[in-house]
Amino acid sequence: MTALRSALLAAVSATIPLVLAGQGDVTARLDGRVPAEVMRAVHDIAAATAARGLPVEPLIDKAIEGGAKRVPADRVIAAVRALANRLDEARRALHDGGIETPGADVVEGGAYALSAGLGPRQTSELVRISRPPYDPATSLRVAATLAALGVPPKQTLDLMESMIAAGRSPSDLLDLPSAVQTSVAQGATPTQAANGLARGVVHAPGQAPDFVPPGQAKPHPHKP
Amino acid sequence: MSAQYHPLVKRLLDGELSLAELPAELRPEGEAALRLIRSVDRAPVTLPAALDARVMATVRRHAASPVRRAWRRLTAPRDVELRLRVRPWTVWAGALAAAAVVVLLVNRAAAPSSPPRGPGTQARVGSHDSVYVRFVLYAPGARRVAVAGTFNQWDQNAALLEPAGTNGLWTTTLAVPVGQHQYAFIVDSDRWVPDPRAPAVDDGFGRRNSVVAVVAQGARTL
Repeated sequence: MTALRSALLAAVSATIPLVLAGQGDVTARLDGRVPAEVMRAVHDIAAATAARGLPVEPLIDKAIEGGAKRVPADRVIAAVRALANRLDEARRALHDGGIETPGADVVEGGAYALSAGLGPRQTSELVRISRPPYDPATSLRVAATLAALGVPPKQTLDLMESMIAAGRSPSDLLDLPSAVQTSVAQGATPTQAANGLARGVVHAPGQAPDFVPPGQAKPHPHKP
Repeated sequence: MSAQYHPLVKRLLDGELSLAELPAELRPEGEAALRLIRSVDRAPVTLPAALDARVMATVRRHAASPVRRAWRRLTAPRDVELRLRVRPWTVWAGALAAAAVVVLLVNRAAAPSSPPRGPGTQARVGSHDSVYVRFVLYAPGARRVAVAGTFNQWDQNAALLEPAGTNGLWTTTLAVPVGQHQYAFIVDSDRWVPDPRAPAVDDGFGRRNSVVAVVAQGARTL
């Protein structure tokens, strides 16, 4: 027990300067970039967020972005608070997906997925199926990008599930957004593009997804 | 000095031909070559009997040198076993203290006391693992186009685009740190425009931000 008490004491001693340093960092980074009221509010929001073990970097970035875009102070504070809430929501979704103590990268990926339109359940499900060699943070970012490209959340999740179920490599997942963009540029809707990619995965497991949008296929050669 | 003999003369020297079998014009060359060969001392070489003993004596003298032995002791690899007897809590405390120092140093390195501006932002970007990313916007009639995002602290003066000819295309290439970034173009210093070629997300202020993912192999729309 003595050893345990000593370890806890050491951990607390090591954590206090980190939290203080993080708070000082928030003020220093916002200084001159946002109005004083925004700086104070973000400082408080960041402190509360850090105390819950969540990353504060996205909050600082959002405040700086609001300042650069000359957004009124109250709207910047509201956006930062909303983002903090989304980080919380992301952590809950990750917890439901089986990650007890997610790292900052995964939490940010979860928040990005929620911002892009995925629901908490879809986020949890995506995390649950992203077991090694798949990285949950990468899966979340890929899914969020697909949603940002206009693929509906359900089709996004279906496509990700089919890729993972077919044993496609993690780098194949990274290629999905550009594959959707290519199909959209050729005339498909984002939904058609995602459905086509999912069909391609089912019909040709283990190969790179390939989809030709309706009306873009080459005619079949006629036999002489 | 070297002599290049005719191939037939070389065969003569090898004993494959006789002098009489050489063409008449080659016989003088053949005779000269034979004379040269005959003049060489072909007696077998014999080494003096004491040579072995002299060589071995020199080797032993070098091996017995104290300077060389000391040098070998200093430089030769050998197995060393260290035994530490510590209490577990000291290891934990030491590790946590070391982690705290590392994190503090990293925080200090990553967060300058004043916000980076202009060229400073570029220099900071260059200190991380980064990839060159080309940004292009079609903005005919624009007088000034910049790109700002999470990679340059949303500084609209840090990265200006240059007009590519007179067709309305504006472009720049930036070193962007590996990671996912949100960004937007700023046209004429007051109009924030998302990249029409990239996926976009709500920026929380009623506008859209474009998204780019920079991985070690390059930039992806992720």
